[in-house]
Amino acid sequence: MANSLYVGRRARNSFWAALCYAATGFGLLWLALILGALLWKGAGGLSLDVFTKVTAPPGVKGGLLNSIVGSLIVTAIGLALAAPIGILAGTYLAEYGRHSKLSIVIRFVNDILLSAPSIVIGLFVYQFCVVPVGHFSAAAGGFALAIIAAPIIVRTTEDMLGLVPNTLREAASSLGMPRSLVIRNVAYRAVMSGLVTGVLLAVARMAGETAPLIFTALGNSLFSVNLTQPMSSLPLIIYEFARSPYPDQQKLAWTGALIVTVAVLGLSIVARVMAAPKRGER
Amino acid sequence: MMVTADIAAEAAAPGADLRDKIVVRNLDFYYGRGAPKALKSVSLPLKLGKVTAFIGPSGCGKSTLLRVLNRMYDLYPGQRAEGEVMLDGENLLNPSLDLNLLRSRVGMVFQKPTPFPMSIYDNIAFGIRLYERLGKAEMDARVEQALRRGALWNEVKDKLKASGLGLSGGQQQRLCIARTVAIQPEVILLDEPTSALDPIATARIEELIDELSDDYTIAIVTHSMQQAARVSDFTAFMYLGEMIEFDHTKTVFTTPRDKRTQDYITGRFG
Repeated sequence: MANSLYVGRRARNSFWAALCYAATGFGLLWLALILGALLWKGAGGLSLDVFTKVTAPPGVKGGLLNSIVGSLIVTAIGLALAAPIGILAGTYLAEYGRHSKLSIVIRFVNDILLSAPSIVIGLFVYQFCVVPVGHFSAAAGGFALAIIAAPIIVRTTEDMLGLVPNTLREAASSLGMPRSLVIRNVAYRAVMSGLVTGVLLAVARMAGETAPLIFTALGNSLFSVNLTQPMSSLPLIIYEFARSPYPDQQKLAWTGALIVTVAVLGLSIVARVMAAPKRGER
Repeated sequence: MMVTADIAAEAAAPGADLRDKIVVRNLDFYYGRGAPKALKSVSLPLKLGKVTAFIGPSGCGKSTLLRVLNRMYDLYPGQRAEGEVMLDGENLLNPSLDLNLLRSRVGMVFQKPTPFPMSIYDNIAFGIRLYERLGKAEMDARVEQALRRGALWNEVKDKLKASGLGLSGGQQQRLCIARTVAIQPEVILLDEPTSALDPIATARIEELIDELSDDYTIAIVTHSMQQAARVSDFTAFMYLGEMIEFDHTKTVFTTPRDKRTQDYITGRFG
């Protein structure tokens, strides 16, 4: 005899489960549409020229070399600044400052930075690094990206170190290991894949940022590796070319978008694979 | 007259004929500011080269006492101990004491096996490298010696480069004991070392404790009274933060002086 309570519960369960599946499907649909459109519109423009020629005025055959190299450089500057600061600050929060009042303040400020609009960060760096010098520069762009990336790395580092069981720290300390060695050789090692994941996610975020670069790196139609001068980057050139009336440039914008997306997607996949527990370990 | 009385009292103290390695006197412990006393004026000796078991119901303070002996509580701000804990005549509660040196003399093995996320070899070598600069051959020999003492060598000698996390629970615990022994401490503290292990692994660890007791002063916290009876020379029964009874293990389990001890070992509470 089917109990009416049980039947009702099963019906409600099916209803909500169906809603969950529908929501997931709806989200994935748009992701698939975006990726599909990128491939459809961008893949056609992929050629050797894209990687060997610099951006050109309308009518001249050009590529994205300066933008790709610029993106790599500006992101590398951001990474070089943000990774050490983020990891050290995250380590302070999780290890030394776990019980201190200062940590509560730092965590709060970090959360604000984490959710600050990137255009505000761009404006800030513009005021501090561009206006006084009198011109835009790749260095300022990298600095702006670092301000975006550092809070992400602080957060992931703290979260990851929080997963290290205290018993492991105690075990290391019980051998007479100084605190710094416990952190470097035991805690970091235990969550290394998580730390790297955090950094890679921050890199992916930086690679896709446009707003903070508009006020700082500005963009450059010539090939440049000079950090004190304006520099092109993929998001900037997408922004510029997508608004262009010329079909050649529009096509390059799609191709640039495809390259950025594939790069970011690739990094995310690498990060997930690294974060997955290895066989034979817990 | 007074002198004779003192001698008489001393002779009556259990194990008075043996040398003390650690002497705990009037030890109070607090888990935080304003927190109640977790240990209330606890006193007992740990005899050199003997195994002392701490028994008592959950929350009686036996693990707390153990964690004072290597100042492990010092990792957590707010926790504090008052009184005297003499290690070879030196008070180890002294705030200016070098904790890393203390812990290299007083090693500890925990309830849950805690191998480091590195190879079996490095798990052992890591602790040694903190205090000694050894060549490869010497280090290899020390690692082998430690793993043999931990009764693990035969099982791992062909996979020293494999991760310590890949071992079974019992093997991991023996690895942790080997790691502790490798840095040649004087005292070894064992905090319920077999409570996460199956009976066979437990038996192996108990044999190991028996072998190690020739060279080390050992304190073991255990929930198993059979284990205390099997492995220890002395037993301390604790209840609600107080040291109720300390005596030869045989005496505690056959003719306890205190009613509470008797009730506990006969299973009437706890």
